[in-house]
Amino acid sequence: MIEARNVSKFFSIINEDRTADGVTAVLSVSLTIEDGKIISLLGPSGCGKSTFLEILGGLQAPTEGSVFIDGVQVLEPLPSTRKEMEVYRRKYKLLSPLANSMFKNRPKHDIAMIFQDYAVFPWMTVLQNVMFALKLRGIPRKEREGKALVYLRKVGLTDSLRKYPSQLSGGMRQRLALARALSVEPRIILMDEPFAAVDVLTREHLQDDLLRLWDETGVTIVMVTHDTDEALYLSDEIVVFSPNPGCIRNRFAVNTERPRRRSDPELLDLKSRINSLFKYDSIHESWYSI
Amino acid sequence: MSKSINSMSKLKSVLRLIFREIGYFFKGAAGNLFTWEFITILIPLLALWELLPRLGVVNDRLVPPLSEVAVTFWVMVTQRGFLSDIGNSMVKFFLGLGLAIIAAIPIGLLMGWNISIRKRVLPLFQMLSPIPPPAWVPITIILFGVGLPMQTFLIFLAAFYPILFNTYQAVKDTDPRYLASARIFGASELTLILRVYFWHSIGAIIMSVKTGIAMGLVMLVIAEMYGGRTGIGYILNEAKDYFRISQMVVCMATLGMIGWFLIEVLKFVEIKLAVWKVGR
Repeated sequence: MIEARNVSKFFSIINEDRTADGVTAVLSVSLTIEDGKIISLLGPSGCGKSTFLEILGGLQAPTEGSVFIDGVQVLEPLPSTRKEMEVYRRKYKLLSPLANSMFKNRPKHDIAMIFQDYAVFPWMTVLQNVMFALKLRGIPRKEREGKALVYLRKVGLTDSLRKYPSQLSGGMRQRLALARALSVEPRIILMDEPFAAVDVLTREHLQDDLLRLWDETGVTIVMVTHDTDEALYLSDEIVVFSPNPGCIRNRFAVNTERPRRRSDPELLDLKSRINSLFKYDSIHESWYSI
Repeated sequence: MSKSINSMSKLKSVLRLIFREIGYFFKGAAGNLFTWEFITILIPLLALWELLPRLGVVNDRLVPPLSEVAVTFWVMVTQRGFLSDIGNSMVKFFLGLGLAIIAAIPIGLLMGWNISIRKRVLPLFQMLSPIPPPAWVPITIILFGVGLPMQTFLIFLAAFYPILFNTYQAVKDTDPRYLASARIFGASELTLILRVYFWHSIGAIIMSVKTGIAMGLVMLVIAEMYGGRTGIGYILNEAKDYFRISQMVVCMATLGMIGWFLIEVLKFVEIKLAVWKVGR
């Protein structure tokens, strides 16, 4: 179970005219995600959903609030007073708060993450990529190859084991990322716009694959997307974010039985309800919620 | 019995593999140089070099023709032990370059990896690196005396900074996506350095070693000219004193060949190490 309590994230940025500005990327988001569900974080770009996902995964520290995965805090929030700042500095002098440990491979939480641009290592072959992830999870050397092959077969990549990611198509690279994430058998997979960079046909195919694998493994999936159709087709619950500042606008449960049809009237009805939440402001070139 | 036969055949297959790779290397290296397009330029140039002094168009005492240079080379090899001079120079060069690589790449990795190390160490190198390596010659002669340590140190110094700074820069610019995905799987910082930072910057590191080779060769000649009684640089300097122009040309051509050969070796290493980059 993932529990986010009043998570906020503030940035300071420097404008083009060299003035400083504060940006509220995420404002006071509370969210509880049950095990074994597919949750979509949906919203127009710039609504803080990716930042929120990275906070869930422990890749960014929240400015305020905290995230718990099965009761364990993911990252402590950033210091707010001067005294806390000193303690924080001293504590993280050499290793950043994001680091696991100096010498021992050991994940902090049982999660895996998939990025929009795959982030599979281009200097490793398909097989090596998966085996590397297994190594990091402390799987003994002998079992790694067999296990990697199992998951590569599940995504249909057994023919390209010795290829490098640069020799694969975008869809195949995303399959590799999926196999790598699943191979460590995590309880939770975080996905940051996983299918945004592939063409529509491949995307639908990958979505079906994802559903099949989710059904087999029962993993919890938290997915960031800006594609309403994708969110409707895949998820049990859609959390709609609204921009400026990024916060939860609305939550929709999708109760339609799987397998779903993309043109299911129930889904289309929900789609129009979700889309009517936003209007595009062509003067400021940004989305706002009604 | 069968075990020894087995190990023999294993050794044989390894040897065969090594020879095949060496064959590929020379094929590739020569192929880069001797294309038909280039040979049509090279042969007329060599012919001009031979003919112009012979026909008296230029003074043949100042510009010795090709054949004379070739004869001088042969004489130097057979009578003066030129090969041992080359070997001597190479020992110094590889000692210096090897030390530079061994020192610069880890320091560069550490500096690129951690901001707290970077802040403590980088300013020192930034202060020292603008000193041109030849300016170190007098003080190293006093500190180390004339000989191998001094020459090795100078070559080390010349190759060290380019490798260090390029490595550090490339490591610092490692894509945070890769770091994030490795950390989520549970990578320790040591694993990140060895398996992510290093491989992500391998292209820049090899490039920097190429620069290091060029700088090191410069410093090799300078070091041998100023201190020592062996090596190519020494012979070059000596030839100047006795006005043996063809010997100078032999030394220059040898240095050029060595530089070219080492760069080709590195290209080969790059293909072997960064296979994944070649496909792009």
